[in-house]
Amino acid sequence: MDLFLQRVFDAITNGSTYALIAVAMVLIFKATTLINFAQGEQAILGAFAVLQLWYWGIPMWGAVIIGMLFSAVLAAGLERVFIRKFDPADHLPLVIITLGLFLVINAIAAIVWRFDPQSFPQLFPSGNAFTYNNVRLTWYSIFAFGSCVLVLVVFQTLLTKTKIGLAFRAVSSNLESSRLSGIKIGPTLQFGWALAAAAGTLGASIYAANPVLQIEPSMMLRALIFSVSAAALGGLDSLWGALIGGLTIGFVQSVVVQYIPFIPNEMSLSAAVVVLLIVLTLRPSGVLGTKAVERV
Amino acid sequence: MLQKLYSSRFTPERNYQIAKWTFFVIALLLIAFAYVDVGTISIGSNNYNLSLIRLNKAIAYTIAILGLQVVIGYTGQIALGQSFFFGTGAYISAWLIADHSWPFLLTLLIVIPSCFLIGMILGLPALRIRGLYLALLTFGLAAVFPSIVKLDKLYGYTGGAGGKLTSNYKFIAPSWLPFDEVAQALQKIPLLGDFFGDGPLSTREESRLWKFILFSLLAGLCFWLVHNLIRSRPGRAMRAIRDNETSAAVSGVNLALTKTLSFGVASALGGIGGAIYVAEIGIASPDDFSSLVAIYLIVGLVVGGVGTLPGAVIGGLIYALVPDWASSTQSIAFVPERWLQGPTGSLILGVLLIVLTLFLPGGIVMGWRKFKTKLLGKELSTAR
Repeated sequence: MDLFLQRVFDAITNGSTYALIAVAMVLIFKATTLINFAQGEQAILGAFAVLQLWYWGIPMWGAVIIGMLFSAVLAAGLERVFIRKFDPADHLPLVIITLGLFLVINAIAAIVWRFDPQSFPQLFPSGNAFTYNNVRLTWYSIFAFGSCVLVLVVFQTLLTKTKIGLAFRAVSSNLESSRLSGIKIGPTLQFGWALAAAAGTLGASIYAANPVLQIEPSMMLRALIFSVSAAALGGLDSLWGALIGGLTIGFVQSVVVQYIPFIPNEMSLSAAVVVLLIVLTLRPSGVLGTKAVERV
Repeated sequence: MLQKLYSSRFTPERNYQIAKWTFFVIALLLIAFAYVDVGTISIGSNNYNLSLIRLNKAIAYTIAILGLQVVIGYTGQIALGQSFFFGTGAYISAWLIADHSWPFLLTLLIVIPSCFLIGMILGLPALRIRGLYLALLTFGLAAVFPSIVKLDKLYGYTGGAGGKLTSNYKFIAPSWLPFDEVAQALQKIPLLGDFFGDGPLSTREESRLWKFILFSLLAGLCFWLVHNLIRSRPGRAMRAIRDNETSAAVSGVNLALTKTLSFGVASALGGIGGAIYVAEIGIASPDDFSSLVAIYLIVGLVVGGVGTLPGAVIGGLIYALVPDWASSTQSIAFVPERWLQGPTGSLILGVLLIVLTLFLPGGIVMGWRKFKTKLLGKELSTAR
């Protein structure tokens, strides 16, 4: 029982960080029906920027906020230069461009900060919030989950209560009609990219701040697969679906896989891909997503 | 009728084609004899390896990229997981060679059908999943391959994280091939003879040369088959699906059959590529088949030209040479050393991918064709 509870807590911890990256993917998918393969790398670049700022003596949370701003501006620039000129309905060039960005950003991060893992400063108070027999719920888990919910609430408010949020929702629901009603498509999508990158940077910072992990350029590749599965599971265009998907993937990774004897521990990545396969085959719109209708 | 057939077979166009291919084969053989020994070129203080090992690797990548041409270029399905099949072929071949001492060519008889079947089975979800979703799923597939071969349960077959050694198998050139005679004849050519080394070939050189010729023949066979496939009825069905899936279905194309067929063919080609790769480097190790390899193969596809057969050759060469040369470049004036010691190859390939997609969407091959059309003032042929 103790072990089970501990694993559930682990699931929540991991799931929240996956959910943060998944939220970033969902935002971009909502806006442009594009899956950004470079999302994880953009996030890790942001997290490295945070680390660098912290080395320069800026307090940790200040560094995180500046890092989020930095990656938001960078993402807005990337969208303008590389994404906007392509037809959103033609997926292949867009996938190829994001794969190219993946390679370039990954290489730059590795060149500037090297491949050696570095320890990332603590974002949250260390220690346990709650102990019961051998079960420990760390402050880190609580804060990771809390920040994920907070980000979702903030985004939800941004999208429903502000004017640019309204424009964003209009564009994601129907591009042509919103263009006809005078919405500037480009800047609106740019806004989506910026928000997504900021969420991604926060997610990567929280992920790297996990006391058991260290930051290194390729750490996001694994997280990317988990997050993608989470986003697909929740429905690729649903914000809250990302949280549900993230928690489910975390649960599969930390709880389900542990209790199935014939699946070895290191297969958690494969388990995530299997979940992805099942979801996409049986219910491509995910748990909370909108069903796609095709017209000829 | 006979007259018509006869005249269409011996047009100047056809003579030109024959001359072109003969020239190509002779050039390939000359290159093989010139670089059979490990040679290096020095530019500044950097040494660049030029040897058949690189070219053999390029052949392996070329065949894998040819598979991507079938599934992405001609059928329009965004399948990113070619490294999965590259690895599967490599490991099956390595297992048969190392544990059952099969000869290399015989392993292909197992590799091709099994990769074809696995590809068809994994292609089944693609009947429901489209576009980006398929890209996601296949990328996930590529990402899990290393962890599958590292499984403890498969240790006996795959050798775990250490990899599977196949170097006990040697490629021995058949004795009826006149390698020595040709090498010595080439060495006697005035002025140019120096390029072809000195004296008779050693056993190692002969085996390397034999490998190159064998792999080239295999690649040529693959190209010929794919070329015919694309121009046959299933190939036309594939291109119809690429151009417009709904209208293809309306015109009576069997979507399910055609898509799974193209997945199967692509995977089988990936498997052949993998088998050649392992035969060349002598070990199958998990990290050689990571998701980064899947992306590099996409780079090869795009840089060569999506939907063009010669593009696969260019792509394979770029994948085999660029990262290797980037890592042997240790110093360039005005460039800080830090930028040369990191993953510069990956950076260059990423930049190439972006730049070509932005400015030359058809890759190098289409760019060359456009250039040629401008030069000759001929109409660009629509069949590709």
